[in-house]
Amino acid sequence: METGEKVNRGLKALGEKVLNSDQCTACGACLSLCPYLRSWKGRVVKLDNCNLEEGRCFAYCPRTEVDLDEVYRGFFGKSYEEIEMGPVRKIMMARAKDPIWTKKAQTGGVVSALIDFALREGVIQAGVLTPRDGDLLPQGKIITNRKAVLSCAGSSYVSGPTLEALNRGPWKGQERIGIVGLPCQALALARMKTSTLEKKTPIDRVDLVIGLFCTWALDYKPFMAFLYKRVSSLSIKKLNITPPPERILEVMAGKTLSRIPVDDIRPFIRPSCRVCLDMTAELSDISVGTVEGKEGWNTVIVRTAMGENLLKRAKKAGVIETRPLPKDNLSHLKEASLLKKRRALDALKEMGEIEKGYFTLSANLIKCILSESGETLP
Amino acid sequence: MSSISQNAPGKTVLLMGNEAIARGALEAGVKVCAAYPGNPSSEIIGTLAKVADELGLHVEWSVNEKVALEVATAASFAGLRGLCAMKQNGLNVASDFLLNLNLSGCRGGLVLVVADDPAGVSSSNEEDSRIFAKLGDLPLLEPANFQEAKEMTKSAFEISEQLGLPVLIRSVTRVSHARGNVCLDELPQSRPKPRFENSLRFHALPAVLNHKLLHEKLDRAKQMFEESPFNFYRGPEKPELMVATSGSGWMYSLEAMINLNVQERVGVLKLGTTWPLPESYVLEHLKKADRILFIEEVDPFLENNVKEIYAQNCLFLGLKAFFGKASKHIPDVGELNPEIVTHAIQNLIQVPYEPRPADYALRAHEAAAELIPARALSFCPGCPHRATYWAVKIALALDGRDGFVLGDIGCYSLGMGPSGFGQMRTLHAMGSGTGLACGFGQLNRFGLEQPVIAVCGDSTFYHAAMPALANAYYNGADFLLLLLDNSATAMTGFQPHPGTGSTATGKEAPVIDLKAICEVFGAHVEVVDPFDVAATVETLLRLLQEEKGVKVLILKRECALVSAKHQKRLYQVEVEQEHCLGETCGCNRFCTRIFKCPGLMWDKAAGKARIDEAICTGCGVCTRICPASAIRKEKA
Repeated sequence: METGEKVNRGLKALGEKVLNSDQCTACGACLSLCPYLRSWKGRVVKLDNCNLEEGRCFAYCPRTEVDLDEVYRGFFGKSYEEIEMGPVRKIMMARAKDPIWTKKAQTGGVVSALIDFALREGVIQAGVLTPRDGDLLPQGKIITNRKAVLSCAGSSYVSGPTLEALNRGPWKGQERIGIVGLPCQALALARMKTSTLEKKTPIDRVDLVIGLFCTWALDYKPFMAFLYKRVSSLSIKKLNITPPPERILEVMAGKTLSRIPVDDIRPFIRPSCRVCLDMTAELSDISVGTVEGKEGWNTVIVRTAMGENLLKRAKKAGVIETRPLPKDNLSHLKEASLLKKRRALDALKEMGEIEKGYFTLSANLIKCILSESGETLP
Repeated sequence: MSSISQNAPGKTVLLMGNEAIARGALEAGVKVCAAYPGNPSSEIIGTLAKVADELGLHVEWSVNEKVALEVATAASFAGLRGLCAMKQNGLNVASDFLLNLNLSGCRGGLVLVVADDPAGVSSSNEEDSRIFAKLGDLPLLEPANFQEAKEMTKSAFEISEQLGLPVLIRSVTRVSHARGNVCLDELPQSRPKPRFENSLRFHALPAVLNHKLLHEKLDRAKQMFEESPFNFYRGPEKPELMVATSGSGWMYSLEAMINLNVQERVGVLKLGTTWPLPESYVLEHLKKADRILFIEEVDPFLENNVKEIYAQNCLFLGLKAFFGKASKHIPDVGELNPEIVTHAIQNLIQVPYEPRPADYALRAHEAAAELIPARALSFCPGCPHRATYWAVKIALALDGRDGFVLGDIGCYSLGMGPSGFGQMRTLHAMGSGTGLACGFGQLNRFGLEQPVIAVCGDSTFYHAAMPALANAYYNGADFLLLLLDNSATAMTGFQPHPGTGSTATGKEAPVIDLKAICEVFGAHVEVVDPFDVAATVETLLRLLQEEKGVKVLILKRECALVSAKHQKRLYQVEVEQEHCLGETCGCNRFCTRIFKCPGLMWDKAAGKARIDEAICTGCGVCTRICPASAIRKEKA
């Protein structure tokens, strides 16, 4: 539209299109860059108005004007074309060999073991991870040793501003950095890398991104209010969702195990998850998830040369062991990944038009995604 | 020796209107003076407090205007002379007592001075207090200049004793706060001994009988006022236009007549005893002219009362035309000035006059702007209230439930503007923030989910918020009261109050502990230093989210202007130029555009922020807001 006014790509637009529209993923990419935004209990809050025409807050956000081709070209050197689950070099099952990881980890302990290995081998000197402590509030933390890695093992199904730690530091200035994040965080990191705005964060020293499979994340405040009505106020040790068809959230609080149907917690899923295209954290060096029907194993997708090299060395050093991913699991994974994309497109259509959504994608690819999942455009 | 305490009959001194009122009371032998501070009245008691010991008076800052009037009235009941002073809003507080005191009557001279604030320059309203004289059937005097301010006050004590009624004096800002020559009279040396005569009764009841007696007293007042030297006429015997005026309108009218050079054509009836009006005197002068213009501040009080007299007597007077606020010849809101009066007279008698150009005010403003540094209506540098509202703004945003702040009267009323980040949503009377919170604090049962916060200063708390706090606990209201304890009645000039440890005359006084009071009233009470913004935000959030019922957070930090008098600055604060990223930071001038302490300034040449060392008080609060950590502090 020719209004003569400049299109705002700063906090004003971020407020309108993301924060006030309940589209924030709480990834943390916009935080600690300026004093206008702050996070509180899993929510990103705008404290004051800023009238700058463009800002890093808007440019890094995974829910604002994402040119998928551009981002994928920046990360993989090729456009957004592998629509099933992004670029894949290798795919396998894996698990950590040392019980120190498997005991506390959500499934196979591969993520913790790989970060620990990368630190020990000097591939990275610091990690940005999400500590998993008693009050479940996710926040980013810079970690440099095994003890700290261990404190970050396990999932809480709650999203939080992990990437704020990357922006905030403190950094010594030379460390190479590894980050473990959700798909939205991997997308934000890729946008940070490709952004042309002056960088104020050590994104160029982020050498390793381990992405976590994710179908949705919960909004901390309402979920916790719900949870503490169901379980004792004792420190929550572990959260786990049992595989389908059961789908039960198991909560270990103190010595008591509570079992909550997943349908009861669905109201607390962040609305921004509904429009997410990415289940397998495509913009990562290595993506890690569970394996249906194989308890104690992770699905591992190697996507870059960096990822492949690290995995190879970790395997050789006996840190992890791998097995081929059974064919059925692979096809289920692809199906689930595509289903997520299709649902995201449906959700965007419900909200208005896909073309007015937060990303740009060719009409052809949209058609492709919808049809390969057994749907056609109306 | 102060100029108001010297016993030098015949000497002319330069006095502020409020000092002239104080001097008048001294010349009348006043013994007890009480007030609650409020502009433009504060200097009356402030001046008397300074000479209290020297002249053997009791002078006090009372906790509110009603108590102040009661204190002064006790002196009257005991046969001494008592003076009470307040601003127009204060009379609303005192009116409950006043409108019973009129029925009971009094004994020793009792004078109540009310200083009105036309245009509400330092008030929440521009109420005309004169209506209370009519409402309560009480004699009312309006001084028109400084000498008269003194003479009328002195005379008011005599009138009060002759009638057995309190007498009201209505001043306005331009009489109270301007200065002029005043010729002194003798100070009495008598030392009357107070005694409550048990044969006397001071009861409002029986109401009807006392009402009748009151009307008889008012008739006597009317008779007395027929001869009053405070009423006079100046001008031709048959003027084309007669200006009827009172108070500061007198001086404006004189200036207008000179401006227009119409002294031969226009007469001025200056009335000093405006309730009850001396009816015969007014009628006598109404005969002089067929066209009458009323000049008075705020409401058409004189205008309507003269019209009443005319209506009653119109058969004998013939047709008259009245001009003023009703006819729109005079604005019915805001403050008068000589230009308005000049324009009105010129309009009515058609004399040539070069009026001020329409853009005069704008040009005057521009000319002044070159000489005066631009200053927004803002908290002082280092004011604890800025830090408080900053923390409130952050806490309410993080809380995310759209909470809101109910305001009150004090420096912190500036919280409604940019200096308080627009946080304050209501502003009415002293203590009303807490009272409104009592109501909002009940609405959760109807589904109100927003957190409710009231603010209140320490002096305001003693004045009017305590009953509201008692009500809150008793009725189970749910809200957070922020008690902004800066240990001063700062807005009106740092008068002491029950929490400060000293009295009006500078004597040591017991300190009433705010925290203890609030706890006794059943509130959950915590105390923070607003300069510790992080701790304040955290405490606010915890109290808003985790505590039910009445909560009080005392934000304790002395007023920066008071601190500056007895302690050096806390920190040396500096914007380190090599760390300030200026326009490239991305903070969009956060410190000067959003935080806006006047101690921070944007250096246009350097394109960076700087500290204005001349006014920075070194509170150090701004050092936490810079994203580049460029604002540094060092222990001073």
